[in-house]
Amino acid sequence: MKFIKLAACITSASLLIACGGESSSNNSTPAPAINIEKAQLVLNTNADIALAAYTDSVDTAKVLKTALTALKETPSTETLTAAKKAWLVAREPYGQTEVYRFRNSPVDALDVEGDLNAWPLGEALIDYVNTGNDGDDFDNDQIGVTEHGLGEDISAVIDVTNASTQAANTNTIIGNTDIVINDALLAKGLTADDEHDVISGYHAIEFLLWGQDLNTEDQSTTDGTDRDDAVNTTAAGGQRPLTDFTTDLHADRRHHFLEVVVNKLIADLEAVQAEWAKNDTANYRAQFTSIVDAADAKQKLTEILTGMGTLSEGELAGERMQIAFSSNSQEDEHSCFSDNTHRDIWLNAEGVSNSFYGSYAGYDSDLDGIDDVTTNAVDGYGIDEYLTEVGLEGIAVATSAALTLTETNYKLIDTSAREGSPFDVLIMNATETSPVALTIKSLNAQSRLIQSAANQLGLGTVVEADASDCNTETPTAGC
Amino acid sequence: MKIIFLLFSSFFLLSACDKYSDSKLAEGYSSLSAPKLINAENKPGGDTTVSIKPFVSFQLPAANLDNNLRPTFHAGKALANQPWVKAPTITTARDGLGPIYNARTCLSCHIKGGKGFIPTDNKTPLTSTLVRLSLLPSFSTLTKEEQATAIKKSGNIDHPVYGDQIQSQSISLAHQLRHSQKPGRIKHDVAPEAYIHINWIEKTFIYPDQHQVTLRAPEIDFQYLGYGSLGKGTVFSLRVAPMIHGMGLISLISEHDILALSDEQDENQDGISGRPNYVWDAGKQTTAMGRFGLKANKPTLDMIVAGAFANDLGINNPLAPNQPCTALQASCSNIANGNDENGFELPADLLQLVVNFNRDLAPVQRRNSHDKNVLAGRELFYQVGCNQCHNPRFTTQKSSVSAHLSEQIIWPYSDFLLHDMGPDLADGRADFLASGNEWRTPPLWGVGLLSQVNGMATLLHDGRARTVEEAILWHGGEAELAKNRFIVLEKKDRERLIAFVNSL
Repeated sequence: MKFIKLAACITSASLLIACGGESSSNNSTPAPAINIEKAQLVLNTNADIALAAYTDSVDTAKVLKTALTALKETPSTETLTAAKKAWLVAREPYGQTEVYRFRNSPVDALDVEGDLNAWPLGEALIDYVNTGNDGDDFDNDQIGVTEHGLGEDISAVIDVTNASTQAANTNTIIGNTDIVINDALLAKGLTADDEHDVISGYHAIEFLLWGQDLNTEDQSTTDGTDRDDAVNTTAAGGQRPLTDFTTDLHADRRHHFLEVVVNKLIADLEAVQAEWAKNDTANYRAQFTSIVDAADAKQKLTEILTGMGTLSEGELAGERMQIAFSSNSQEDEHSCFSDNTHRDIWLNAEGVSNSFYGSYAGYDSDLDGIDDVTTNAVDGYGIDEYLTEVGLEGIAVATSAALTLTETNYKLIDTSAREGSPFDVLIMNATETSPVALTIKSLNAQSRLIQSAANQLGLGTVVEADASDCNTETPTAGC
Repeated sequence: MKIIFLLFSSFFLLSACDKYSDSKLAEGYSSLSAPKLINAENKPGGDTTVSIKPFVSFQLPAANLDNNLRPTFHAGKALANQPWVKAPTITTARDGLGPIYNARTCLSCHIKGGKGFIPTDNKTPLTSTLVRLSLLPSFSTLTKEEQATAIKKSGNIDHPVYGDQIQSQSISLAHQLRHSQKPGRIKHDVAPEAYIHINWIEKTFIYPDQHQVTLRAPEIDFQYLGYGSLGKGTVFSLRVAPMIHGMGLISLISEHDILALSDEQDENQDGISGRPNYVWDAGKQTTAMGRFGLKANKPTLDMIVAGAFANDLGINNPLAPNQPCTALQASCSNIANGNDENGFELPADLLQLVVNFNRDLAPVQRRNSHDKNVLAGRELFYQVGCNQCHNPRFTTQKSSVSAHLSEQIIWPYSDFLLHDMGPDLADGRADFLASGNEWRTPPLWGVGLLSQVNGMATLLHDGRARTVEEAILWHGGEAELAKNRFIVLEKKDRERLIAFVNSL
C-alpha cells in the first residue's frame, strides 16, 4: 500500500533541531561553511559502516537458520542451546544497525523494520502462554486462555506435562492445526501496519526458543563471564522445555514456524543490505553518497545526526528504558524472553558511537563482550574529524566525552547482567544511582550534545526557498 | 464581525490593498482586511514550534520542553506508539488490546501524529477511520430518566448491542490472520463488530468561472456485522483521526477567550453563531466546556486520551473504566483482559504519561510566509471571512505546571466553537449540545504538511476532502456566505488563498 510506504519513509524523525530560525539567530558565531569534500568522506564512511553491519547481520541470520535446521533435525539440549546462542550472536551486528533508523534510510523506507524487530511481541497469538496466579496480569482474571500455569506460585515453572494436549491451545498459531503456517502468514495484507499482533522477526524466534520468562526474583548467578553458561541454564530468560521441540503434539509446527520466520528475517535483511551495496547506481547508497550541492550535503549530515540523536534520546533512553522504569513492569524490556536487553542497550549505543567516530569494529561471536569477527570492520572518516576540520573541535571533544560516559554506564548494565542481575532485575530496584538510570541520563546528555553539534554546524537553519524581497513589516506594500 | 474586530483592531492596516481590490467579492463581503503580518506568525506554536528539518514531523516534543521532561515525553510516546497486544503476555504493561478495537496504537490512526487514512476504494476495510453510532431517543427502550443520564454522561444514547462506536477489529485469531487463511477455517472467539467499507459518491462542482472540481462523499458500507443487525433509529458518524499536535497549548487557552468569540444568537447578524459545547468531565464529575474532539465533546486532554484508549484500543483506564463490550456481547466480556491489580489495563500514572506526550507535541513552523502569493492569500483569507471561525490567534494562559506552554502567542486558526456546517456535512448524530449539523472548527495549523507527514491529506471529519480547495467547497450553513465569497474570486486568487492555508 502506497501511503504506508510513504509514511514509513518519513519516520519519527528529528529530535535534533528546534525552530530553525531561532537557533541560528541565537548563535553568536556563524556556522562554518559546509566543507563538501570532507562531508563526502563522512557520507562514504557512514554508508560503509551500514553495509558492513547489515552484511554481518545477514551472515549471522544465516548461521541462525543453520542452527534452527539442526534443532529441527536433531532436537536436543545441545542443538537448542546452539540455536539460542546463534540468536544471541545474530543480535550483535543487528543492534549496531539501529542507528540507521529514524532517518529515512532503507530499513524504514523499505518498511521492513517492524517485521524485523517490532516489539512488544504478540506472544499470546503465537503459542501457549502462562496464565497462573502471580498477581497482576497472570491472575485469575485471565479467563478462557490457554492454561499452562500450575495455578499456585508459578515463580519459574511451566507445566510441561500438558504443553499442548488440551483443547485450550487451539487459539494460537502453533496450537490451531487449521492454520497454515507459510510466508503468507507473516506477510502484510491490505491493512499493513494494523494487520495483526507482532508475530515475525527476531523476537518471534526468541519467544519460540526461550518461552516466557517468568522469573520474578533475583536469579541464580552464573560465573559472570561466560554467557554460554547463562544460555545453558534456565536461570536466565524463559523456560520453554525441550519437549516443546520433541514429543509435544505441536513440535513440528514450532519447527515449521521458526523456519518460515527465519527465512523472512534473512530476506528482509538482504533487501536492506542491497540498498547499501557498492557499485549499484540505482540503490539508496548511490543517492546518499552523491552530494548535489551544499544544501544537499547539509540535509544528509542532518539525517545522520538525526538517527544518532533520535536513537539516543527517543528510542533507547525514552521508549525502551525510561518506560520500563515508569511502567514498573518487570518484563518491559526489548529482549524479554532471552534476558538479552543489556546487549540491545550496549549495541544500540555502540551504533551511535560508530557513526560519530566513523568506525565499526565488527561483532562478538562468542558472547564474551569483545568483537572478534572483524572481517567487515571499518575505520573511516568520522563526524568527530569533520567537526575538527571545520573548526568545531570544542563540540567534538565534548560529544566524545559524553559518548564515553554512556559507554561506561552501559557497561555497568552489561556487567550486572553477566553477574546474574539482568535488565529486568535491575529495573526492579530503580534508584537514581542504578546503572539503568545512569545510562538513561548519559544518553540524554549525549543527545543534547549531538543536537548542539548540529546547531553549530548550521544544520538547523531552515532555508526559506521562496523568500521574496517583500518587506516583512508591511507585506502588502510593494509585493 | 464585531468581536473579531476588537481582538485585532490593534493590528489593522489602515490602507486598503489596492492590488487585489479588483477581485470580485460577493455582496456583503467581510469588511475586514488582514492585520499586519508579524514574525510571530511564523511560529504557530510560539516557542514550542519545531523545525521541518531534516524531515517534517508531527511527533516532536515542544522545542522549548525542559530537558528534564524529555525522558517522560518519550516514555509516553512508547505507550502511544508501540503496539498494544492481546493479553496475556509477559510484557504486562503492554497487553490488554481489545477484545474488540479499532487500532492497536494511538499513532496507527494519528499516523505519524497526522491524520488517519481512508481507503480510496471499496476493497479496503477501514482501519484508521471509524464509525460512531447512537440510537435516536425515540427508538430507545430506556426510560426518560435513563436517557437523560446517558446524554449527560456520554453525550448521546448508546446502541444497545454495538455501543457508541463500531470496533472493526478483534483479537480473535480468525480476524488477526484473516488475510492469510481461508475464510471460515478458524472460528472467531470474539468477532469484530463489523468490517466497514466506503463507497465514494462523486459529484462535480462548477465555479462561476466554469472551472470544475470533482468532490466525493462517503457512503458507509457494512459488509459484515458480527452481532446482528443494527436495527431502526441508529445514526452513524464517520470519523477520520484528526491531527494531535499543539493540544497542550489549546488546553491553556482561557475559556473566557473562547466564549468571547461565541455569538449564539448571531446578534451581530453576520450569519455565524458559534457556540460552545458543554460536556461531561469524568475526572471532575461535572459538566464542563468542551474544546477537544470533532464535536467539541471532550473538555480536557485527559478525557480525550482516556476515551480513545478505551474505545479505540480497548484499553480501559481509571477515567474510562469499561471495556468496549456491551452487556449483549458476552463473548467480548468473557475473554482475557490485561487488567492490573486495580482492574485497569492502563493505570493512572501511565495514562498521565500519554496525556503529557499529547500535551507536548509541537506545532511545526510555517513555510513560505513571505511568498507573494501566500501574502496575497493571507489578505484574501481575512477579506473572505475565513478568520471569523478559523480564528488565527490566541495567547495561552500562564501555567506553572507547563512552563513551556505558558503565555505563548499561538496561531491555531480555530475558535473551538460549534458551527452549523449545513446539510452536506451533517452526520445527524447529536453529541451533548452539538446537533447533527454542528461541528467544531478544526485548527488549521499544519494542514499544508499533512501529506508530507504521512502521505495522506484527509480533510474534514470524514476525510472526504483531498485538498484544501475541496474542504472549502464542502462548507455550508454558517460558512455558506464565506464560501460564496471564495467561489467568486478569480482562479488565481482562489489559489493564493489556498496557498496561504497550506503555509500554516
